[in-house]
Formats: sequence, C-alpha cells, structure tokens
Amino acid sequence: VIARRERRDFGLSKSLTEYAAALREWSVEACRPYAREADSRHAPPSDWPKILDTAPVEFPRWDRPGQHYPDFEEGHWVRELVFEESLCYGDPWPQWVLSPGIGHLVVDAMGTDEQVERWYTPVIGGGSQTAFGLTEPHFGSDTSLVATTATRDGDHWVLNGTKMYCSLGAIAAYAVVFATTDKPAGPSAIAAFVIPAGTDGFIVAKANESKLGIRSAQTAELRFENCIIPLDHRLGWTSEGEPADKPGKSGRGGAFAALSNNRPNISAIAVGIAQASVDVAAEVLAERQPEFTPERWSVVQAEITRMDDALDRARRLNYRAQSAADRGTSNRSLPAMAKAYAPETCERVIRRCMQLLGPEGASEEFLLEKWHRDVKILDIFEGTGQIQRLIVARGLMGAAVN
Amino acid sequence: MTAAENLAYGDPGLALTGLWSESFAAVASHHATPDQRRRWLPASVAPLATVALYEGFGRSPREYRTFIRVSPDGSVQVSGRKVAVPLAGAAESILVVGTDVETSRLRAVVLGADTPGLRVQADTGNTALGAAALARVDIDVDVTGEHLLGGIDTDRTALERSVNRLRLLVAAAEIGTSQRAIDYGAKYATERIAFGRPIAGFQGVSFRLAEAQIRVDAARLEMLDAADLLDRGGADKADAAVTKAVNYAGEVAMQSTRDAVQVLGGHGFVTDHPVELWFRCAVALAVLDTDPLCSSFEAAL
Repeated sequence: VIARRERRDFGLSKSLTEYAAALREWSVEACRPYAREADSRHAPPSDWPKILDTAPVEFPRWDRPGQHYPDFEEGHWVRELVFEESLCYGDPWPQWVLSPGIGHLVVDAMGTDEQVERWYTPVIGGGSQTAFGLTEPHFGSDTSLVATTATRDGDHWVLNGTKMYCSLGAIAAYAVVFATTDKPAGPSAIAAFVIPAGTDGFIVAKANESKLGIRSAQTAELRFENCIIPLDHRLGWTSEGEPADKPGKSGRGGAFAALSNNRPNISAIAVGIAQASVDVAAEVLAERQPEFTPERWSVVQAEITRMDDALDRARRLNYRAQSAADRGTSNRSLPAMAKAYAPETCERVIRRCMQLLGPEGASEEFLLEKWHRDVKILDIFEGTGQIQRLIVARGLMGAAVN
Repeated sequence: MTAAENLAYGDPGLALTGLWSESFAAVASHHATPDQRRRWLPASVAPLATVALYEGFGRSPREYRTFIRVSPDGSVQVSGRKVAVPLAGAAESILVVGTDVETSRLRAVVLGADTPGLRVQADTGNTALGAAALARVDIDVDVTGEHLLGGIDTDRTALERSVNRLRLLVAAAEIGTSQRAIDYGAKYATERIAFGRPIAGFQGVSFRLAEAQIRVDAARLEMLDAADLLDRGGADKADAAVTKAVNYAGEVAMQSTRDAVQVLGGHGFVTDHPVELWFRCAVALAVLDTDPLCSSFEAAL
C-alpha cells in the first residue's frame, strides 16, 4: 500500500465535506463504468437520466426541474467548485450532460427585462438547455475578430457565418450567437443574438465535432446562411430597436465577467480527473510493488506524494478565487491564476501516472489514457493558459503588458 | 536511427509498426545459426514474426525477469511476462528476450505462436499505435535447445547491442514525432492571426515552440550519441546511455506535442488537424520504456 497524505478539508463546512465525499463515491461507482461508452459513442450513455437518478445527494438537473443543491454555509462559487471536482472524480461525462449551457447566462447579462423573462427565466426553472456560439474557425482567444455578420433588413436581422465549439449547438432550444453588425467598427459592433433551433438558415454543420477528448460533450459546428430573426432577438433590443436607456444588467462586460468567475470550475474538473488518475495508479501500483526494485519503489511512492501535493496547491488557488467571488471581492487575476495553474499541471500528473503504470499505461485497459485526452481541452477553452498568464501579468504590470 | 526518426516524422504509429515488424528478421538474421536462419528466415516472404522485449517496472534489459533456463539435457525452460509486444496476436513466431538464469546475461529464444504454455492476451486497445496491436504475452514453456537463438554459445554482447538498438528506435520515433509537431505548430503560428499579428509574434507562443525545439535537438544529440556508443561496442555504458536517451526523448515528445496542441488551441483538439494524434502517440511511446529513476514529475508551475 502506498501511504497517502490525509485529505485536507480546506476549511469547508462539515456538511459540504460530507456532500463531496458522497458525490465522489457515487461518481466512481455509478458513473465511471460508463466512461468508455461515453468516449466511444461520442455521446453520453443513452440512459443517463436513470444513471444520475441513482445519486445519493441532490444537485440541480435541467432535466428534472425542482432539483437543487442542499443548503450549505458556503456561497455559490465555492459550492460549485466542490461539486465539479467531486463529480468529475468518477469521470467527467456527467459534467457535460448536466450543464444547461451558458447561452441563457448571456441573456441574463445582456438582455432587456422582456428578453430575460422570455429566454432566461424559463431555463432557470429547468427543462431545457441553451447553446453558445462565439468561437469561429479563424479565431478563439481574440474575440474582436468575430466575422459572422448580422445585417439589419427592416425589422429583421440576417445572420451569416460559421461558429465552432458551440456547446449544445445541435440540441439546445436556442443558441446565443455573437455577430458583428458593422465589421469595420470593431469590437463595439459585436452583439449577441438569440437564434431559436429550427430557424431557417440555422444549419448544424457538425452535430458533435470529432475531438481528442471530452468526446461525449456535444460541441457543434454551426453555419448561418441568410438566417433571419426578428429585431428583438438581438440582446438589449426591443422590437422597436435599441432602447434609449442602457438595457441589460451588465452588458457584454458582465457576460465576460461571469465567464471569468467560471474559470476555477474548469480547474476543479482538471483536479478531479487528475486525482482520480493518481488514486487509480496508486492502487494498481501497490498491487505490483513486488515487481519493482526497492530503489524504484521508493521513487514511485515519492512521486505519488508529490503529485498529491501539486493537486492541493491547485485546490488552494481555486478556493481562494471562489471564496473571493462569493464575498464579491474577486478580481480578474484570482480566477486566472487558478485556471493557469491546474490544467497543465493536471495533464502532467496524468501522463506521469501513465508512465508509472508502464508499457500498458497507455492501453485502454485503464481510463488514464482517456483522462489524458479529456484534460487537454481544459488548458484551452474558457481562456487558454496563455491568456490567463496575460491577465495575471496585466494585474501585476498593467498597461505595460501588451 | 535517422531513418526511424524521419519515418516517424511522417507517422509515428505506422513507422514503428513497420520497423517492429522487421525487428524479428533484423535480430534473428544477426544472431541465428545457419540452420536457424534457414528455418526462421526463408528466402521467400517471411512469415509475420515479432520481438517480445518490454516488461515494465523501469527494467532495463539487464534486469528482465523473463527467465531462460538451459537444462543439462539441453531443453530450455522460459517463464515470464512480456508486455506491449507488437503484432503478437498475428505473429507466427515470437522472439523472446530474457535473462539466462545461469549467467544472468541476456538470452533469446524463438517460440512458435502455438507453443504450449505461450499465451497471447489480445490487444485491449491503446491511446495510439493501433496498427501495432500491442499485446501481453505470458510465457511458461519448455522447448528443445533448437529454440535458443544463436545456439548455446551465442554472443551475448552482440545480443545486448541488438536489443538496445530496438529500444533506441523508440527514442528516434519520439524525436521524429516531436519535430513534426513543432514544425506544424510553428507554421500554424505564423499563419494564425490574433490581436493584430501572427500569434508567433507573442512570446507565450513562440518561446514554447523555441524551447521545444531546443529540447528536441538535445534529445536527438543524446540519441545519436547512444547509437554511437552501441556501434562502438561499449556495452556497459551503452545500456545506461540508451535508457537515458529513450527516457529523455519520451519526456521531450510528450511536452512538445502538448505544446503543439496548445499552439493550435481549439484546432489542436479536433481531429481535423493531426497534432492530437501526435499528442497521443508521444505518450503511448513514452510509457513503453519509462524508468522512474530517469525522470520525475514536474508541476507546470
């Protein structure tokens, strides 16, 4: 047996700690057995609602309106963090199927009261998912390059362009799509539009992109060909056009701030998968101890400890960022640090575990090779590691950083 | 090694599968007795055969625990487990490298796939290298002395050299894979525009690729140096040099292919571009011959 350090509670309440433990145990027993299937089908297990029904603790489900988190002392963001890490410890597939999407969050941030009532409130009540389209084939990080156009034609908008990596793009009730109303005018002309599924000219080019990992996560390539929507489908606008008073709670900046606060959640997914890898590897290695020389065995043990320690460092950065978010004292740097830290280190943890397992460490006999493929996206989406470093650098050195 | 590197530059999985499928003939022709050569290496198309090398647990060939015992009556007993044996499921003959219990030096036997006590556990699938159909082979057999490669008095030093050459092929493949990934990432970085310029103009991107190239060059020099030691016959030194070169090449390949995926961003994560394949190949190759004493876990930050 490899001696492991005690699991730290990081100052979490007893009830949230117990909730996390129950979720972890369940995700291993009930969800992990479907990991291969989700990966090879490029879709969640077909009976995923039934699988999730077996959970011993409650969490929100868009497909089961009325299910919520239990009450905890902790705020929303810390609770999310604990939830993501514990859920993904079994395997990340339930994460993608539980997500109601983020399109409606953009509606909430940028929409008029009427739009919020129409497209946000019903989603929050449960029962549907929303899609989000920002990335295009020629840009990712630099969102000022939006080339999908929205041209006004009387009391309609006409959209043309291609979006990739649209979460839930082929299955959601509607997609929130960013398009420019005036390309030469630059970023200020970029607006968000609600495009209901089934609208003429809303074409699903690829229902689920062929990916290295997180294959069961439904990310679509969407094409808009003279896709016509009413004037009031532009967020912040009414059927009369742009209201005189500034609409929406927080505008585009608010939408991006919400995305910023979500970044440590991505790190938590990475930490959950990496911890699973260390635990699986440690268990297998312990059985094989007699095959190692004493010198190598002591190195194996030391490496497991060092990986556990690295994951705790990632957790501390996560908790710090999200405690601040709950208190309303966060800034751009705290979540960026958390997201810069965990994904790449977790990638290294997983590949090291594969190495320690030896020549069969990359075989499909173990889930580590899947997790190694899954984890890679976490350093790319919701802001690459490079963008996170840029944010931290700007926090340190301001405008001198370009 | 240069050939292996450049074949892997095209496709690491196919390159190694091709080289591995030739490895039986390469090793057997070098060490077999004339009689064995006639039996195992017919002049016409040779039957599919493979070499069983790896055991895991960081073992170098001198530590292999597949044991070969030559009994006084001339019969040969072989026992042990080999893993990641390429093409084992389809091979008609398997060349098994192990440790002679008498001398503690390397020995090899050639076993027919239908030898009683030889069990090939079919490929369970792998993150890459699908064409190589890697399999586990459990061996507990008793065969005649005719199966001893090169006979009882074969040149063990020469056999060690052949085995280490095979191991070093993986380093060459890792380096070829890395170089291809860097070249692909570098080209992409000069073409992809963000924030008003090609992303190669950002040090966060260009330094990653530059560092990857520096590492690859260091790994290539080390690999060639180990190959040189092998050619010059310094068996003791060569063994350790090969282990280090293979392990470093593995580390370098895993990092440079991940950096290439990173440079391509979302495009690196979809199968439209080949970098995700190289990312998988690099780790599949690296695990084959990892010695925990040669490298260590390093957090990214």
